Amino acid sequence: MKRISLKVTGAQGQGVNSVGEICGKGLKHAGYCVFGYREYMSLIKGGHSGYQLDVSPEKLESSETTVDILVNFNHHGLMQNWQEVKKGGIILHQTPMWEFPSEQQKWLKDNDITVVYLPVEDILKKMKAPNILGNVLITSAVWTLLGQDDDVLKELVRKQFGHKGEEIVQMNFRCIDEGTAFIRDDSVQPLTLPAPDLKWANHMYLTGSEAMGLGIIHGGCRMYVGYPMTPSSPLLSYIADKQNETEMVIKQAEDEITAVQMMSGAMHMGTRAATGTSGGGFDLMTESLSLNGIIENPAVIVLAQRPGPATGLPTWTCQGDLLLAVGAAHGEFPRLVISVSDSQDSFDLMPEAFNYADEYQTPVIVLTDKHIAEALYTQVPYDVTKAEIRRGNLVTDPKKLAKLKSADRYDPTVKDGISPRWLPGTEADVYCAQGDEHDAEGNVDESASNAIAQMQKRMAKMTALHNALPEPDLIGDSNPDILLVCWGSTRSVVDDVLKSEEFAGASIAYLHYSFLWPLKTEKLLQLVSKAKKIVLIEGNYNGQLGKLIRQECGLNIEERILKYDGRPFFYDELHRALTPLLS
Amino acid sequence: MRIPLQTGGPNMHSYYTDTPCTWCDGCGDYGIWTAMKRALVELGYHPWQILLCYDVGCHGNGADKTRAYTFHGLHGRVLPFAAGASLANPNVPVIAFGGDGASFSEGVGHMVHSVRSNYPMTFVLHNNANYGLTTGQASSLTWQDQPMNSSPNGIPERTLPSMDFIFSLEPTFVARGFSGNIEQMVRIFKTALQHRGFAYVDILQACPTYNHLATHDWLLSHVYDANSEGHDPSNFEEARRIAVDTTDRISTGILYQNEDIPSFYERLIPRQQRKTTAVEEVERTDVSELMKEFV
Repeated sequence: MKRISLKVTGAQGQGVNSVGEICGKGLKHAGYCVFGYREYMSLIKGGHSGYQLDVSPEKLESSETTVDILVNFNHHGLMQNWQEVKKGGIILHQTPMWEFPSEQQKWLKDNDITVVYLPVEDILKKMKAPNILGNVLITSAVWTLLGQDDDVLKELVRKQFGHKGEEIVQMNFRCIDEGTAFIRDDSVQPLTLPAPDLKWANHMYLTGSEAMGLGIIHGGCRMYVGYPMTPSSPLLSYIADKQNETEMVIKQAEDEITAVQMMSGAMHMGTRAATGTSGGGFDLMTESLSLNGIIENPAVIVLAQRPGPATGLPTWTCQGDLLLAVGAAHGEFPRLVISVSDSQDSFDLMPEAFNYADEYQTPVIVLTDKHIAEALYTQVPYDVTKAEIRRGNLVTDPKKLAKLKSADRYDPTVKDGISPRWLPGTEADVYCAQGDEHDAEGNVDESASNAIAQMQKRMAKMTALHNALPEPDLIGDSNPDILLVCWGSTRSVVDDVLKSEEFAGASIAYLHYSFLWPLKTEKLLQLVSKAKKIVLIEGNYNGQLGKLIRQECGLNIEERILKYDGRPFFYDELHRALTPLLS
Repeated sequence: MRIPLQTGGPNMHSYYTDTPCTWCDGCGDYGIWTAMKRALVELGYHPWQILLCYDVGCHGNGADKTRAYTFHGLHGRVLPFAAGASLANPNVPVIAFGGDGASFSEGVGHMVHSVRSNYPMTFVLHNNANYGLTTGQASSLTWQDQPMNSSPNGIPERTLPSMDFIFSLEPTFVARGFSGNIEQMVRIFKTALQHRGFAYVDILQACPTYNHLATHDWLLSHVYDANSEGHDPSNFEEARRIAVDTTDRISTGILYQNEDIPSFYERLIPRQQRKTTAVEEVERTDVSELMKEFV
């Protein structure tokens, strides 16, 4: 697969994201699959941030550590990122009088790298254009370096600024013309992109958080309660920003305990509600998780991972909270832990999270991470007719309600432990949603026999859930010599590597876990019995899925590729790490 | 006072359950429990039409002593659960009960934001000025010089002035009752339940086992009905003054009410045209329009 990459760097607030986004959208319109990766620091202005675009006419969902074009808003990028440019690449910058130290100049020359200075201030002054148009100027220069046609860019600009009036649009167009002319006059040789595939043009370009927000809305969720915490904040922002369209009940809570309790109260009342947070906020929610376990209340909590401990690396990524999700909260109760991996399943798995929560009347934790939450995916528009709404043993029919007795609510003798649930405000025999150990009606009952009966009732749901869940997905050779095991955001990059020329034809496959707890191991053990090599790939220090696998079936995956530096696995990095397996 | 006896409507027996009460003899919880049931009956609510949410503490052991849809949650966390329930279905009256320990220590943050948010719900404070269920430790509302379990010399902290605190949050409804005056509590609860936003109801109650200062008799001799003395509940400053000043006697009754402030739910602009509740709206939602901005 041919892929090229482009990285825009600068201080936060300078316009890095806006240049990145417009180029990303533009390339998609021009017929490329674009993957946008953002890096930034935990501050509002200043710092050093990056927006990288990896581009191909074929599907890709990963970033490389090196780029073909490096765009620098200020000299920090020139000082920090210059070595990330590939042989034959281009550095575009707007820092007047900049000169690389001689050693670097030699390296740049040896690597055939072209350095282009775009005098943004001078051009704007000449045009009598306001400073804010500097971003458009830079964008058009980048666009020309990518060998792309003006028309697509102009169309996008009209779409974005059209509502501000024709004068503004024309000013933007003049900037585009100036930027294009500058690059052409400077005789810089643009990159040659592989031939486009126009199927991408009608795709969406969106973040994992937006994808998840759409999935939550699609799944019938009518209330969202959150407390801001990176990287779960973009999900709160997206759903909250759409409240006038969706007419959902939105609450920015005073803390995460409030958020999870409000979600629980709303679920108990019978709507579909969700909350989202990151590690520290999730820690605060855990007591309430346990409460939902014993009152047998559906609950949906999104846990967007970032590296800890404590505040850790607030704006970076990791897969370090799997065991937290599996083990959080006191007492023993059933739960489902799911992880999304990209923009497709961030959408698809959310209605399912609600379905499982309703069907098993227990908490569902959906893991995502900073990488998925904030990366931009080129995504085929979702099929909005496919998702099911399954509410399990929820009784709303008046005739059935009339037959219910209080003791049906927590009846320990029911099949799979799934007793009927009915809602406050519906005419039926009433019950107590009891956080103390209780009898079938919800009355406090501290007897030993009742404690056993109710524990067994609740945990029977876990057995039923384990049986109902699908086995993990195997992608690649159906009978592989080399088996990779992964979950979450690492799936995308593993997929990209296995699709590369070097891996084509090899007997290799990856087993991807979306449903992580309860853990299915039958398919894994089957594959392991035939595979010659098994490798675990995870973005954490302990190999947490590996530990779970060992705990559940005794299999110890010794070969492990682990990463815990706050960065996702990069394409070339993983490619290098996996290549020795082929020999 | 009138208790409906007509057939078909709810009566006191509708709320009866044969789960035996476990409160101490002389506990104020009995009075509050009885008054609440009576208020619900007088308002014509059936047990299935309401949700009663209980915090953890002695009062919370009443969660299964009233036949209604009830909930018994975590210590200090009843307010946000109840608020979430009330926003999901504002047609179902939601009443939250909490003790002074849970509401002014563990969950005091929720109190601040519930008052400020003006959720459409009622909160009843079981105020016996100590942690009864954990065997009589001081709460933040216990008098400073009162020796308690785990504080034999009295607490070093100053007592939290709960009424001054609540009034500082600009509440829309504040009432105070006494667990020995069922008739007055019924009047307070009924008004609270019909209030537009967040109704804060402080019920002073005896703890015969652990609170040896504010006993039933002591409270009885100190409380007076401010409304019968002509207090105007629309007067915020006066309400705050008589609520805070308990030097000689303690005001009870409906101290403050403002129906002009919309509830949290009414403030939600996207919900204003909706006739349905979030509970009724759960269905697969077409997101085609929302997807367009990403293409």
